[in-house]
Amino acid sequence: MEFSQSELNRRLRGVFERAGYRRYRMSKFEEYDLYAQNKDFLVSENVLTFTDLDGRLMALKPDVTLSIVKNCPTEGIEKLYYHENVYRAAGLSFREIAQAGLECIGEIDEYSVCEVLALAAESLETISENCELAVSHLGIFRDALRNAGLQDASQSEVFRLTGEKNFGELEKYLEKQEIPEKFSEKILRLAAIDLPAAEASKELKEVLDGLAEKESIDLFSETCDFLGGEFPRTVRVDFSTVGDLRYYSGIFFKGYVDGVPTGVLSGGQYDGLMKKLRKPARAIGFALYLDALEPLFNDGADGGADILLLYPEKASARTVFEYKKMLSRNGETVCAMRLKPHGKRFKKVYMITEGGVLQVE
Amino acid sequence: MSDLINVALPKGRLGDSVYELFAAAGYRCPEIENPGRRLTFENPEADVRYFWVKPSDVAIYVEKGAADIGVAGKDILLEYQPDVYELLDVGLGRCKMAVAAPKEFTDEREKTLKVATKFANVAKKYYSQLGRDIEIIKLNGSIELAPILGLSDVIVDIVETGATLRQNNLEVKSTLFEVSARLIANKASYRFKREKINEIKKQISAIKGE
Repeated sequence: MEFSQSELNRRLRGVFERAGYRRYRMSKFEEYDLYAQNKDFLVSENVLTFTDLDGRLMALKPDVTLSIVKNCPTEGIEKLYYHENVYRAAGLSFREIAQAGLECIGEIDEYSVCEVLALAAESLETISENCELAVSHLGIFRDALRNAGLQDASQSEVFRLTGEKNFGELEKYLEKQEIPEKFSEKILRLAAIDLPAAEASKELKEVLDGLAEKESIDLFSETCDFLGGEFPRTVRVDFSTVGDLRYYSGIFFKGYVDGVPTGVLSGGQYDGLMKKLRKPARAIGFALYLDALEPLFNDGADGGADILLLYPEKASARTVFEYKKMLSRNGETVCAMRLKPHGKRFKKVYMITEGGVLQVE
Repeated sequence: MSDLINVALPKGRLGDSVYELFAAAGYRCPEIENPGRRLTFENPEADVRYFWVKPSDVAIYVEKGAADIGVAGKDILLEYQPDVYELLDVGLGRCKMAVAAPKEFTDEREKTLKVATKFANVAKKYYSQLGRDIEIIKLNGSIELAPILGLSDVIVDIVETGATLRQNNLEVKSTLFEVSARLIANKASYRFKREKINEIKKQISAIKGE
């Protein structure tokens, strides 16, 4: 990656703030009950807990969305972003993980959905030009399965196999279900949709005809067309992008960047969670797993800064401050030192000389 | 990221058959046929790089992105539940996951059932669906020995021909599921090497269909 993690954080904040999202800061702790009641929503069930001085069982936040939803007013519309650390079990121990993301809560309309999806795509493109946002619609998928005559347990199995792109076993599974053959074929086609967003509408309309409400299909198709127009290389409609139906009720998406072996972004419409928390509102948001991006930051710049400013022994503090201020004008971080530190790399190195400041590397 | 498709092959007899399948599908790698002390084998013309790993590790290599694709048994996939795409049943290594026990054994459900197995998660899930209390005895090999020496009541293990069971006076009591080797892919790699991975899948499917 061409820039450091701190620069990425700054750019992401820029993406969110330009869209009018307000930073939401929160405490590191939350009452454990909130997580105990919504364990399925968490990436990992393990939560770091402690007893507070007043006897309440508290947890170090394993998730940000739950805290925001719990504390956020639901009148009108709230557009919030965050950059927080969460505490999760990873492997055999707990880790502090940096996470950024945003939530749009309240009277969600088609524009809000498109805006959040666009911000997810823009965030990925900020990280790398080789990125992909895979989008599906769990509500439409579930309605199609229900209308085809599949019961809840069978729907879960279809979702599981679709999530694995295991279409061979899905075909065998559907053959065993007592549903009309034409529906089996359509469900297989729906599960296998993996197309650039701009090309998805036609296939969606054909496959979903008779299996989902026309209004929902049209709305989702419009969203796909919009995303296809704005982010032709980044967004694909891929129905193997599945999540927990108890929480996610509509559009669901995951983001990937080349060079990172896991998904780096995940989000969707979580009206199910809002209902469970008895919040009379709708919501959509996403989280970016900044820790997953570590393999991309191999330039070592995070140990120092974007720019190293070397100053001679006789330079006055005022002079060094002035040059430092000048070099940091474009938002780059500047570290002033007498000597180049061992083992740290900087993108640029400047040196203060009698004639002014010169770029030497 | 490299443009080559990194393929994790399971060491052993199954792996040899899997490589032959890839070779027949157009992904031959002369280096792998004369390995010497090398650990990875490339054929840039076919856009592939192979490496051998322990069969139970294939899914980990693929899930963590060290390999873009790999071939792993369904038994391993159900035991470790890696977050990968399962693209194709390659039809090799066919066998079944079964409960076996001494011929005279019947489960009277009077006491906790002692189950020796390498596949603890698979066994737990199976008996939990039956509502049966069990104690898992996790072993890493020679599973058939456990009921003979009284270490367990039954075993949950892979059965190919059943010859080992018969020689030790054991028999299959029930079958959990059929096992075969599957072509799996890392979810992120699939996104950025979609065409090449789908082409490999297509070529292997074509051979399977012959």
